[in-house]
This record gives sequence, structure tokens and C-alpha cells, in this order.
Amino acid sequence: MYGGGNTFEGIRTDSIALEDPIKLAEFEARIARGEKIEPTDWMPQLYRKQLIRMIEQHGHSEIIGALPEGTWITRAPGFKRKMALMAKVQDEVGHAQLLYSAAETLGKSREQMIDDLISGKSKYSNIFNYPTFTWADCCFISWLVDAGAIVNQLANAKGSYGPYCRALDRICAEESFHLKYGHHCVIYLASGTAVQRQMFQDALNRWWPPMMHFFGPSDKISTHTEVLMRWKVKMGTNDDMRNQFLDMYVPKIWELGFTIPDSKLKKNAEENRWEYTEPDWEEFKRVINGDGPCNKERLEVRRIAEERGRWVRKALSSPKMEYVTPLA
Amino acid sequence: MKSLDPRVGRLPEIGEPGIIKPKVTLDQFGSFEVFVQPKEGRSFQHEGVVHAPNLELAYILAKETFTRRNTCFSVYVVETRDVFVSPLTDGTTNAYDLISDVASTGILTYEIYHLAKRGKQHVHAGQVSAGSPEEAMSEAKKKFNSKTIYNVWAIEVAKIRMTSSEEMDYWTTLPEKKFRDAADYKGGDKLKTFLEKSK
Amino acid sequence: MKDLPLKELLYKMADDLLILGHRNSEWTGFGPLLEEDIAFSSMAQDKVGQSLALYTILHELGEQAPDTVAFTRNANQFHNCVLVELPNQEYDFSLIRHFLFDTADSLRWESLTKSSYIPLAQLASKVKGELRYHTLHANTWIKQLGSATEESISRLQNSLNIELPYALGIFEESIYEKEIIESGVFPGEKILKAKWELKITEVISQTQLQLPNLDSITPKIGGRIGKHSEHLQPMLDEMSEVFRIDPTAEW
Repeated sequence: MYGGGNTFEGIRTDSIALEDPIKLAEFEARIARGEKIEPTDWMPQLYRKQLIRMIEQHGHSEIIGALPEGTWITRAPGFKRKMALMAKVQDEVGHAQLLYSAAETLGKSREQMIDDLISGKSKYSNIFNYPTFTWADCCFISWLVDAGAIVNQLANAKGSYGPYCRALDRICAEESFHLKYGHHCVIYLASGTAVQRQMFQDALNRWWPPMMHFFGPSDKISTHTEVLMRWKVKMGTNDDMRNQFLDMYVPKIWELGFTIPDSKLKKNAEENRWEYTEPDWEEFKRVINGDGPCNKERLEVRRIAEERGRWVRKALSSPKMEYVTPLA
Repeated sequence: MKSLDPRVGRLPEIGEPGIIKPKVTLDQFGSFEVFVQPKEGRSFQHEGVVHAPNLELAYILAKETFTRRNTCFSVYVVETRDVFVSPLTDGTTNAYDLISDVASTGILTYEIYHLAKRGKQHVHAGQVSAGSPEEAMSEAKKKFNSKTIYNVWAIEVAKIRMTSSEEMDYWTTLPEKKFRDAADYKGGDKLKTFLEKSK
Repeated sequence: MKDLPLKELLYKMADDLLILGHRNSEWTGFGPLLEEDIAFSSMAQDKVGQSLALYTILHELGEQAPDTVAFTRNANQFHNCVLVELPNQEYDFSLIRHFLFDTADSLRWESLTKSSYIPLAQLASKVKGELRYHTLHANTWIKQLGSATEESISRLQNSLNIELPYALGIFEESIYEKEIIESGVFPGEKILKAKWELKITEVISQTQLQLPNLDSITPKIGGRIGKHSEHLQPMLDEMSEVFRIDPTAEW
């Protein structure tokens, strides 16, 4: 699950001037005619660097994203929910596996990626730095955070880099189960007892602000990178993605009789844009830089997991092993 | 660690918070390419990569990493090192045009895979008999060159961990695992009843 | 009344699978390698799925609905062996449990393919492939780690020593042992245990692990008659925490 967020904040494009102009022109022509870039193709340094960053962060978002829902994996109510949640959280781990493999084709090792996550050097989707207090919080994530991720992933699946597109095709197929499952859970809470309805309303009140942060800072304050759009690395602006999400899901939330905690939220029909209270981008910055409710815990859980598994991996390593970049 | 997740509350104290022990090279092992046959009679297709310490564990891990969903009839794995790769072409250039003609001197069996379109997966084209990967590419050129292909892979069968005939039942219950299918979560009726009641 | 031996067999199997599946699912996201995390979680889902299939057969025999049976009974009403309820430790503990239990369970299901109770025979036939994979996975990990480094061997040996007495509790005989054998539903725990001993000996002999003389070990029993360790009730409380907010609600 990944919302893009602040992946492309603060990038510098000066390296483009140092690239071979003929190769660069051929590279851009290939993208313009819709042909995918594969691992052994020539590519500009900036393209490689930004793709690694984006795909790696997407991978980290998946493995960290497994934790807020994983909080409820032992407590899912009933067989249907229990088995579904086990499969869903497993899928998040599976998506991390697919994405790290795609990023590896660009030359960064999985070891380095995992180290960079745990040390705090690499980022992940900020929404996972918040706590899932109740079963309904878990359902919010399963439905609406997944929904947001799908908006982003469907856009990115049309990007230029072959391995990332192939990974996303697989991921989008699995996400369709996640989304339907999440919506199913919320429909049952909505149509259930007063306690169940209130549980979800409370969760919605808590999670709406981080959800509005999910697609990253608003266009008017985020860095514009025309070259990344031209190279089909960034597939849409943050506000575009956010509006798409609101279009698709606000009506569904309202349909269930829930109140979204933003009195300004409404669709401006003429401009075909949603109006809403401007999210607190200072809070977003604070949390993504380490000061959120769960940042320390999320990374500590990953650090412990890697430490605990060290003896297993060490035991099975052999001098015959050699690292070769994955092919596709 | 205090946490809302009872599992996290039970995690052992190991190492020190914030003190990262960087990973050694190959901590995540080497990689193995995974090929899946989705249905009986359909061609095998490349699906991705698993990291594993050896071929047998790569097979075991690939089975769940790549065939735990949808349909699957068979799977196999081979070390990435053992996949021989032709040049990658684009536009109207056929990768086979860049493969030299070499006489065949041996009788090893190779699986041949084609990339028909950039961005898609490599698909199985067939088998050839040859003495080396270079010869295998040349044999494939003779046998399978019928339209523009962007990339060719040759894999020696002896290096592949296949699914044996007794193992075909791994996927018997796969179609029944509906709890992982979107179709099993049709909230439509429940939603409709709820909306009618709310009016 | 003639259903009692059958129901008891079904309950103990279903309870074993639910509790072990639950324990194994606790590793999701925390595994030693991403790919292994995925594999272990899949097998946990298989186990819970098999328990659901068994509770469903019980429901058809007049017992309560699976959710009710799984999420509202207390520890003294469960018939799982104590082995499966023990809390997770490090990965060697879970791998050894996976090896000891799944070897027995695979043999149990195999014998049930010839059960005189048709629904059980049909289910056993269906899940053969799942068990084949589970034992391939367990045997491969035990053989590889059991011959790898001093650390991996000593960890596995330690877990094996701790778990063997509990593993013997898998074969705790039922008061209906005679009836279940005579009815042709199941050939009985004695036969199962003998096959299991041969199987685990065969695998362990391919490692540097030592298998102690099983006759010298006192089995830790009681699980089959509702006498559990102090770990089961807290586990059940956790598992049913949300369900019990309102057991009549639909989640």
C-alpha cells in the first residue's frame, strides 16, 4: 500500500545536463511511444535514482503497512474475518517481496534497502505511523487506505519501467480482494449494532486527517518535476490522485451514514474538484520525519524481526552463493 | 515493547533499540527465477524472483510466493545465474537477428523463453537440444524465429527444480480458497438492506 | 450417541489445527526472510481452513456453528494437544513444532482417506496436497538447519528436547479408542504413533540432531480431555476479544 506521498520532494535535476544527449533522446523517444524500459536499457542517472527511491519506498510501505492491520490478526472476529485478515497481511509482505525485487533490477541490493528502512534513512507511507486502536481502525485501513493505494498503483502501473509495471499488475490483482474485503467489513459495521457503528465512526474521525495526507503535500506546496512526468515515473499530481480518491470513496462513506470530520468537504461540481479543509502539512512533515505516534515502534519491530532471523539466514549461507541482479 | 499489538508486546528484547547491525553481503541470499504454468496445456511464464539459500528451498518458497493465488498447474525455479540472456531489442529489431549462428555440438536440453513485448513477462517457446547456451540460442533461432522477439532466454533443464508428477496435488485446493477472492466479499445485498432500512 | 467417538475425533483434530494455525499466524510480518514469512503464513491459513472444514462437518452432525464453537468455548472445553497451544519462542521452536506436528497430522489425514465416515474420507483426499507441501517444507528446513551451523543445530536440538514430551501428547488415546477403530473411522493413535516415530527418525537421521529414545520420555498429556497449560485460556481470550464484544453481532 503506497500513496506516493513525498517521494519526489527536493530532487535535483542538474545531472541530466551531463547525460549523453543522443542516448537521452532515444530513451525519451522510447517512453513517448509507450515502450517500456527494461533493466539492461541505458537510462539517465536521475531516472534510475528516482525509480529506486520510489519503488523501494513502496516496498517499505508494504512491509510496514503489514503492522497496523497485523495488530488485529490474532483477534479477528470469526473464521471469515480471521482467514481474510491472515491472507491480507500476508499479501502486504508479498508485495514488499515483489517491489524490492523490482528495485533490485536497478542495482540496489535488498540488504541495503532493508538497512536503510531500519536506520530511518528511507521513508515509507506516513499513514502507517498511526495506531490502530480498535477493530474498526483495522477495517478503515483495509478499506480506505487500500482504496487510496489502488488509485496510486493503477496510475503507476502505466509507468515506464517494465519490472515495476509487472510487479504492480500482480499487486493490483491482489488488492482487488483487499478492497472488497475492507468494504465488506465496514458495511457489516455500518449495518450492525450501535456499538459497531460508533466504533467505525470513531475510527473514521481518527483516520480522516492522515488519509488526507496520504497522497502527499498539496500541489501548490510540493515540488513540480516535469521531467519525472515526461519520463512516466510520476504519473499524476498529488492533488489529482487525492481528488480521484475523494470522488470514488466519499459517496460510499456517506452512503453508509457516517460523518466525515470535515465540515468543508464537498464536491465543487463546476470545477470538478473537491473542496476541503487544507490538511495540516506541518503535522505531516513532523510525523514523516520521525515524530509520529508509531514511528519508533514500527522501525523497532522491523529491527527485531531482522535480528531474530539472523541466525537462520547465517546458518544457510554458503560460499557458493553469488549475487546476480534479478533479470526482470 | 508496549504496543496495541499483543504480538509486539511478546517480542523478545534483542540487540538495542536504535543500534542497527548492518547486513552482511548475501544476508538475503542469491536469487532464483520463477516460472509458472497457470493451467494445464498453457505455456509456462516467468513470474519473478525469490531469494533463497539453495535450489530446493527456492522451489518451496516460490510455490507460496507466486502460486498461492489464482490458478496454478505447475511451477519451477532455476538460479538466476543459470539463465542465459540474449541482447534486448526494441522497436522493429528482432533479438534473433543479433544471435550468431553456431553449430550444435551437444545434446543437453534447454528451455527457450521469448519476450514478445517489453513490459510483459517472458513466455515459454519450446525446447532445443544443444551443447551450450550459445548453441541453444542458435538452435532456438532455427526453430522458433517466426516474428519479432525482444529478448530470448535459454535455461538448461538439468539446472531446473521442476514439479514432479506426485507433487501436482499441491494446487488441488487452490480454487476452493475463496476467502482470498474478491468474489467472496459481495457486500451488495447487505448494503441494499441497510440502505432500505435507513430511508 | 454413536456419534460421540466420531465427534471427539473431529473436535480434537479441528482444535489442534485451529490453535496451531493461530500460533503460526503470529509470525506474519515477523519472519526471518520475506519469502519464508509468506510460506509459513500460507500454511497457517491452510490449517485454519482445515479446522473450519472439520467444524463444519461437526455442525452438520448437530454441533453449534463453527464461529460459536471456536470463539466462545473456554480452555477446558478444547481438545487440542498441549503442544500446539505453547506460546511461540524463536523460529527454531516453531519449525520443530511444525515438523513434529505436521508429520503426525499428515499421517493422520492419510489414514483417514480410507475412513468409513465418507465426509471425512473425502476431506482427507482433498487436503492431501496441502499436507504434502507442509511436510516437504518442514522436512527441508529441519534437514538443512539441522546440519548447518553449531548455532542452528543446538537451537533445533534444544527445541526438540523441550517439545518431544508434548509431541507424544498428540497420541493421547481417547476413551472411545476401541469404538473409533472398530467402526473403521480411524485406525487409532497407537498405529499413528508408530508410523510417526519411523518418519521422524528417518528425517532426523539425515541431520546432526539426536533423537532420544522416545520410550524413555514421559508424555505430557491431558489436552485431549480438556486439561491444558496456563497458556491456552489467555490465547483464547485474545483470539475472541473482538468477537465477544457482541457474540450475536455479525462482523
